Amino acid sequence: MDLKLNDDQSMMKKVAADFVKTEAPPYVITDWFQKKIAFLPELFKKTAEVGWLGMMLPEEYGGAGAACTDCAVVFEELGRGPLPGPYFSSGVLAAEIILAGGSPAQKKTLLPEICRGRAIVIPAISDDPIQWGPRSVQTRLSKTTAGFTLTGTKRFVYDAEAATSFICATRSESGGVVLALVERNAPGVSVKPISGFMIGAAEVRFDNVAIAADNFIGDWVVVERALTKALPILCAFKVGACQEIFEMTNEYTRTRVVFGQPIGRFQRVQDHCVDISIHLDGARWITYETLWKIDSGIEAAANVHQAKAVTSEAYYQSCNFSHMVFAGPGTDYKHPLMAHSVLAHTLYQYLGTPLYHKRAMVDALYPRKAEKVG
Amino acid sequence: MDFSLQLDTPEISAFRKEVRDWLAENMRGSEHLRWSGIWSTRENDEEYKFRRQLATKLGKRGWLFPTYPVKYGGAGLSLDHQFVLETEIDRYGLPLGSVFYTLARLVAPAVLKFGTEEQKMEFLPPMMRGELAVWQVLTEPQGGSDVANCQTKAIRDGDHYVVNGQKVMVGHHLPPDFLWTIVCTNPAGKRHENLGWLYIPANLPGITIQHMHLMMGIKNAVFFDNVRVPAKYLVGGENNGWKVANSYLELEHGGGGSVAENPLFKRLIEHCQKTEFDGESLMEDQDVRDEIADLLIDLDVQRLMGLRNFWHRYVRDPHPYGGAQFIYFQRMVRLRNSERVQRILGYDALVPDGSVHEVADFEYTVRSGPGWLHGGGTLDTDRLIIARRLGLGRPSQENAPTTV
Repeated sequence: MDLKLNDDQSMMKKVAADFVKTEAPPYVITDWFQKKIAFLPELFKKTAEVGWLGMMLPEEYGGAGAACTDCAVVFEELGRGPLPGPYFSSGVLAAEIILAGGSPAQKKTLLPEICRGRAIVIPAISDDPIQWGPRSVQTRLSKTTAGFTLTGTKRFVYDAEAATSFICATRSESGGVVLALVERNAPGVSVKPISGFMIGAAEVRFDNVAIAADNFIGDWVVVERALTKALPILCAFKVGACQEIFEMTNEYTRTRVVFGQPIGRFQRVQDHCVDISIHLDGARWITYETLWKIDSGIEAAANVHQAKAVTSEAYYQSCNFSHMVFAGPGTDYKHPLMAHSVLAHTLYQYLGTPLYHKRAMVDALYPRKAEKVG
Repeated sequence: MDFSLQLDTPEISAFRKEVRDWLAENMRGSEHLRWSGIWSTRENDEEYKFRRQLATKLGKRGWLFPTYPVKYGGAGLSLDHQFVLETEIDRYGLPLGSVFYTLARLVAPAVLKFGTEEQKMEFLPPMMRGELAVWQVLTEPQGGSDVANCQTKAIRDGDHYVVNGQKVMVGHHLPPDFLWTIVCTNPAGKRHENLGWLYIPANLPGITIQHMHLMMGIKNAVFFDNVRVPAKYLVGGENNGWKVANSYLELEHGGGGSVAENPLFKRLIEHCQKTEFDGESLMEDQDVRDEIADLLIDLDVQRLMGLRNFWHRYVRDPHPYGGAQFIYFQRMVRLRNSERVQRILGYDALVPDGSVHEVADFEYTVRSGPGWLHGGGTLDTDRLIIARRLGLGRPSQENAPTTV
């Protein structure tokens, strides 16, 4: 048993923390969130230079062959920002999908470009605003005389605006899920940003987009395999976000004076901080144990679903409890809490809600007798 | 990071094998006693007797207090060895914690830290040999959480302290050999500076013990009527009781950590798999599965918080707020599980089943929801401690005392 980071990880954590402090201090991030800027090309390039994009990929593809826990340590610090941008969606999830299902040629051409930050590949999986999982894939793949075309609308694609290409999940004529690589500039592809109480999502339409036969990656199994390694990294990002909220809220209880004393002396205010501590630490240790299992080659399918559910709820609830402490000032879009609040709602939905993943966790542990097929 | 419970080096592996072989031999004949408890409403004298005998056997080898110096009756082993012993004994479903918890986790560590050499030589060996049952008696009728507001008086009279007062909600259904208690040694003194710690032989004249029938089982009221306690039983020095209290209550408040598995979950799954409603097993019901999901998450978070605290204790780096956080969370999880089990089982949740481990008994689960909202402090005290350790509204954070 050893529950601390190793020396390398502690160093990576510090480098990432310093990076966020220097490149994206809270007032800068708050400004981006207020203006709904979810992609900063210059900053993205810098993270590529440090080696954070595709860092879990093998060295032959431009990665660092990093363990999940190493990568998670970096993303935890990015989450403290919270740094907006396709660091996870392209640098982790898309990279893992291509690694898991791509042809040798796809891996060789695409993966090093993802690591350099020149290719920004965005997974566009679910068509539906509510559902997640294979049943949520409806975009149709049709066979034509010349090859294939796909048609459909992905209602909410996170980080879509930054994309140079998409990994589009399609439903083939035989009913299975097939992943297709689609250039952002291909005729028939359109991206429409969505504004609302969220950030970084856009609607992506595929209108009779032609797909060459060598642009397929694999089926749903590939998505699952990639998610098992990728989701815990997203979870670590949310853990970092909760940590930041925890610290900023605790600090506020020392400096904000009401009725002649710091609000942290009021027990009802204290209770909100206690609740944040529980969400934070629950999210942290569920995530860390999952990372350890994956790095140790221990079966972790249920743990990954658990971590996704727990961290999404933790981020969301930490924001709510923090709002109780910050009250009015915390609802100003110029306040750092608002960046978190907006992102927490976005990530609650991203890649499946807590309810979806709780059910998937139980299904992984205790499969139903007759699995309902969608 | 490494979450595996195996800490075993080759030396420790050999020790684990030794312990396993020894237990296989000495646990024989206890099969029908396994998976029951003694804290609650179960009063099984045969089981209690078996545990006491087992403790004596362990004590002979120094294994009841493996990390204590050999000269006091311990085995002079490492925390790794203690960990092996705790986990291997737990496998038999007869953890000694419920009988020796007070001794092993609270009293002996405090004597080791605060006792004089003379006291250690006299008090510790019988404890190490497993001969004693000691009750912690702190709560008084006028207050439980406010330990420092202690009204039981112990006034020095020559070589003795004369004790008068009353403690409540302590112990269990079988009598103790010693009482471990906080007393007011200087009624005129300042709060926190007027307290003493006494280790009182339970057979002294003037001590009366009366059963109290409570939600979580039998506890007792202890009356002190002009009890003359020899002064050698004062631990930690004159008016120094608060310091003793502070360092060891951290352990009482979860700072020690926990690595034991919770058997409730496994039993609940088994129940849902074999119970049918309308031709379908409960396990196929989505509502039941959703309850199970939430319950599993709560138990896993609780397990990991306990593991984290254990690790912090293991590396001698106390977690600032982890102890109180664990206890608070555990109380709330028990309360939630109490309702979850009722939702899944219906009326059956209210009927005890003495054949299973107490923690896995559904009726116990239901009762311990509200029943364990306090005990070792209330949940509000827990939150107060967390808040202080976080330094909420304060310029500085209160440190966690080093656990003993």
